[in-house]
Amino acid sequence: MGSRYGSPSGTSASQMRENAGPVSWRYWIKVHASDPTALLALGLLVVFVYLIAAPILLLLGDAFQVHFADQARTGQAQGSFTTYYFERALFSPIAQDIFWEPLVNTATIAFGAILVSLVVGAPLGWLLSRTDLPGKRWYSTALIVPYMLPSWTFALAWSTLFRNRTTGGTPSWMESLGFAPPDWLAYGQLPITLILALHYTPFVILLFGNALRQFDSQLEDSARIMGAGRLHIARRIILPLMLPSLVSACTLIFAKCLGDFGVAYILGVPVGYDVLATSLFRAISTSQAGMSAVLAGTIVLLGVISVVIDMRLLRQATRFQTIGSKGSMNRVSPLGKWKPIASAWVLVVFLVSAVIPLLALVLTTVMHRPGVFTLENFTLDYWIGTGLGTTALRQGILLTPEFWRATTNTLWIVGSAALGAGLLGLLVGIAVVRSPIRIVGVALRQITFLPYLVPGIAFAAAYLSMFAVPRGPLPALYGTSIILVLAILADQMPFASRAGISAMMQLGKDPEDAARNVGAGWLKRLTAIVIPIQKGALVSGVLLPFISGIKGLSLVVVLAVPGTDLLTTYAIRLVDYGYTQASNAVVLMICVIAFVGTVGVQKLTKSNLSDGLGGK
Amino acid sequence: MSSISLQNISKSYAANMPKAVEQLSLEIADGEFLCLLGPSGCGKTTTLRMLAGLEHPTGGTISIGDKPIVSVDQGIYVPAEKRGLGLVFQSYALWPHMTVTQNIEFGLRLHKVARAEREATVARVMETLGIARYKDRYPNQLSGGQQQRVALARMLALNPGIILLDEPLSNLDAKLRLEMRAELKRIHKEVGATIVFVTHDQWEAMTLASKIAVMSEGELQQLGTPDDIYERPANRFVAEFVGNLPINIVGAGHGKAGDGPLEDWIAEYLGAIGAPDTVASVGIRPEAVAILRTQENTSGFPVRNASVVDVLPTGGNWIIELSVDGSKLFAITGSTPRLAPGDTVRIGFAPEDIHLFDSADERIDFTHSA
Repeated sequence: MGSRYGSPSGTSASQMRENAGPVSWRYWIKVHASDPTALLALGLLVVFVYLIAAPILLLLGDAFQVHFADQARTGQAQGSFTTYYFERALFSPIAQDIFWEPLVNTATIAFGAILVSLVVGAPLGWLLSRTDLPGKRWYSTALIVPYMLPSWTFALAWSTLFRNRTTGGTPSWMESLGFAPPDWLAYGQLPITLILALHYTPFVILLFGNALRQFDSQLEDSARIMGAGRLHIARRIILPLMLPSLVSACTLIFAKCLGDFGVAYILGVPVGYDVLATSLFRAISTSQAGMSAVLAGTIVLLGVISVVIDMRLLRQATRFQTIGSKGSMNRVSPLGKWKPIASAWVLVVFLVSAVIPLLALVLTTVMHRPGVFTLENFTLDYWIGTGLGTTALRQGILLTPEFWRATTNTLWIVGSAALGAGLLGLLVGIAVVRSPIRIVGVALRQITFLPYLVPGIAFAAAYLSMFAVPRGPLPALYGTSIILVLAILADQMPFASRAGISAMMQLGKDPEDAARNVGAGWLKRLTAIVIPIQKGALVSGVLLPFISGIKGLSLVVVLAVPGTDLLTTYAIRLVDYGYTQASNAVVLMICVIAFVGTVGVQKLTKSNLSDGLGGK
Repeated sequence: MSSISLQNISKSYAANMPKAVEQLSLEIADGEFLCLLGPSGCGKTTTLRMLAGLEHPTGGTISIGDKPIVSVDQGIYVPAEKRGLGLVFQSYALWPHMTVTQNIEFGLRLHKVARAEREATVARVMETLGIARYKDRYPNQLSGGQQQRVALARMLALNPGIILLDEPLSNLDAKLRLEMRAELKRIHKEVGATIVFVTHDQWEAMTLASKIAVMSEGELQQLGTPDDIYERPANRFVAEFVGNLPINIVGAGHGKAGDGPLEDWIAEYLGAIGAPDTVASVGIRPEAVAILRTQENTSGFPVRNASVVDVLPTGGNWIIELSVDGSKLFAITGSTPRLAPGDTVRIGFAPEDIHLFDSADERIDFTHSA
C-alpha cells in the first residue's frame, strides 16, 4: 500500500478505543483456554527442566559442593561451597593420573583420529561424489557401515586380533599364530586412535562428499576460463568453499571422541591408559561424586566449545550462497589410468574398516583356538553348546538366560525410551511451532537440545547426581530400569525434538484449523489430524533413537546394574570376565540389529544417513 | 437467524505493530452474500478468521443473530469449534490422510450423527458438487478444482447457517473459476445461507456479491452494493482500487493555475459546471473519457485536444493512451477506434461521469444541474 487515505472511520474513531472500558480478564482466559498449546508447552518445559536441565545443573553443582564422604578431608560441612575437587583434580599429587594425563590422552586421540579420518575420508568423499569410480553407489553405503555399528565393536575385533599376554584371557590371533604383538600395537594410543578414526571416517565421507556434490562446477569453469590451473583452482576456489564442511566434520569427530567410552575401556584401561571418559567412569564407580562432577564438567565444557565452533562455522557456511544453487552442475571427473589404484584404495579401506573386523569377530565365535584354520577347530559351542568346561557360562550364548534377559531388557528399555522420545519430540514440535507464547517455545527448543552438548558418559553422571537419591516425585532410581529409560529418552531428545519441530514446521496450520471449524476440540485435532498426518515423521522419530540407543554404551554403562543389563553393558561385563567369544557374539547380535534397523529406516523413510548426522 | 454483526472490532498482533484491523463495524443481514474486498494486507482475511474463531479480536464485539459470540469487554469468547460456522480455506485444507468420503464425514462423525443419516448427507453433498466418483480417492489424487469441490462438500455436510470463504477462486484456472463462480451462486440460492467471502479480486467480488465491503489498512472504506462501489466510490482509495483499468486521477488545482495543462483544463471544467471549491482531485474512469468525432463541441463543457500515444487492443476493447501536452490519460472504447499513434483527437466527458474528492480524499457528492 502506498499512500494513506482518509476514511469514514478516521482518527476520531481510533481515539474512542481508549475509552472502551477495562480489559476483561475473563475474555483472555477464555481465548487461551480454547487453545491449550501454551499449556502443553509449559508442561513439556517443566518435564524437560526436570529430566535434562536439573541433572546437568546438579552435576555442575556437585563440583562445588562438599560431599558426605569428604567432610573430614575438607574440614567443611556437607553441602558447603568448596574448590576442593578442582584443586584435587588440577593440582594435587594424583592430578596427573586422574586429570592431566587423561586430558592429554583424550586430546591426542581426538586430534589423531581427526587427522587420520581426514586423510582417509576426504579422498573417499571426492572419489564417491565427483569421479567415475566403479561401484560408487554400492560403496557409498558400504563405507558407512562402520558408523552404523558401535565404535567399540572394532575395539573388540582389535583385541581379538592383537591382544598379547600383558592381559590374560583367550589368546589373540597373532599370539596363537606365534607372533607376540608389542604393547604399543595391542593397547593404548595407537589402536584407540585408529579405531575411532575408522569409526568416524564416514562423517568426513558424508559431509565432505555432500558438500562436493552440491558444489557448482560452473565456479570451477569460470576460474578455468580465466586461465587458472587445476591446482590453483583446488587451492583457491574449491578448498575455501569446502572448508566449512571439513571443519564441521572435525568438530563432530572431536565431540564424539570426547564422550567415547567403550574403545578406551577395552583397549586402554587394561594397561592403565586413561582418557577423560574412563577416568570419569572410575570416579563414578568408586562413588566420588565431586571428582566425577569435575571430570564430567570438563567433558561438557569441551563438548560445548566444539559444538559452538561448529555452529558458528555452519552459520558462516550459509553465507556461501553459491553452494547448492539452482543452476548447480556436478561434473564427473574421469579417473583414467588412476582407476585401478583408486578402486584398490577404496576396497582396502572397506576391508580394513568393516570386513576384517567383523569377520574376525564372527570367526572367533566359531573357533576353539583363534586363527587356527583346521576343521576340528571350528565349533558352534559358543553359540549353542551345552556343558562346556568353563567356570561360568557353561552353555552357548544363545542358551544363556542372561543373554535373553539383556535382549528383552534392551528391547523394552530402549524401545520405550525411543517411543517416549519420538512422541515427546512430536509434542515438542507442536509446542514450539504452535505455541502462542514464543519465549516458551524458544526455551523448549534450547533445553531439548542441551543433551547434544553433553557427551553420553557425562550425561550419565548427571543422571546419577539427579536420581541416585529421591528427587521430586520420584524415589531413588539407581538400579532400576526406569533410570535407563529416562536417561536414554532424555539423551535422544535433541534428535527427536528437531525431527518433531521440522515436521511441524512443514505442516501448515490449515488442516488443524479446518478440523477446528467442523467442531474438533484440541485433543481430537491432535489424535485425528496431527498425529496421523505426521505418522511418517513419528515412525522415524521413534526408530532412529531406537537404533542409536541399542548400540549406545557410554550413557548406560554407569547406569545399568546386572539386573538391568542391556546387550551393550552385558557385552562389556563379558569382556570384564574375559569371555571373549561370548562378548563377541553379543556384539555381533547388536551389530545385526543396528545394521538391519538402519538400512530398514533408510528404506522406510527414503532418507539419507547423512541427513541424520547432525543428530546424536 | 444468521445475521452477523461486528462492532468496533480491532485486532493487533503486537503492541508495536500497526493494527491488522481497526475499529471495524459491519452489519451483515441474514442470507446476504457479502464480499470483503481489498489489497493484500488490508485485514480482510484476519476479519474472516476472527469470525471463524481462528483469531481473536483485541477489542470489540461479534454477534451472530442477536447472540454475542465474542465480546472483549463482557468477557465472552466462543471457541471456533463451538461456533458451527462453515469455512472453506484458500488452500482447501483437506486432510491428506483421509479419503474424500472420510474428509466429508469427519464433522458428522464428530457430531455423532447416526450412520444412516450420515451416509445420506455425504451422498447428497457429493451429488450436489459432482464428486461422488472420487469418493475413495485421497486429496493428492485430485486436481485443484476437485479438491475445492471436496472442501465445499465437507463444509456443506454440516449445513451451516453461515458460510465463510477465503479467496475461494484464487487457486483455480480461468475456466474453473467461471464454473465455481456459478456453483457458489447456486449453493447460495439453494441453501440460503449467509455467505461472507474474502477476495482481492474485484471481478470475483463484483460478479458474486450482493454487498461489498472494501477494506484498506485494517479499516472499512465503503460498504455497498457492487454498483454503489463502482458508481459512487466513497473515497479515492475505493475509486482507484475498483475498476479493471485504473481510474484517471487529476488534481484540481483551484486557483493554482500552472500545475499542468491537464489540471488547468479540469479547473476550467469544474468552474464551468459549478463544482464546489473543496474539490481537490477528480477521478475519471477510462470509459468516461469520450473521444469526440466531430469538430464542434456539442456537450457544452470544455473539451481539450489530446494526442494519441498508443492504442492497445485487449480483445473486444481498445485502451487508448492519450497525452494532453505531456500529461497521461487513459481512455477505453468498445468499438474499433480507427486511431493511430500521433493522431490528434478532441476529448471530453459528461459531468455525471466524474468523481470529485476533497483534500482528505473523501467523496464530494455533487449533481450538476443543467
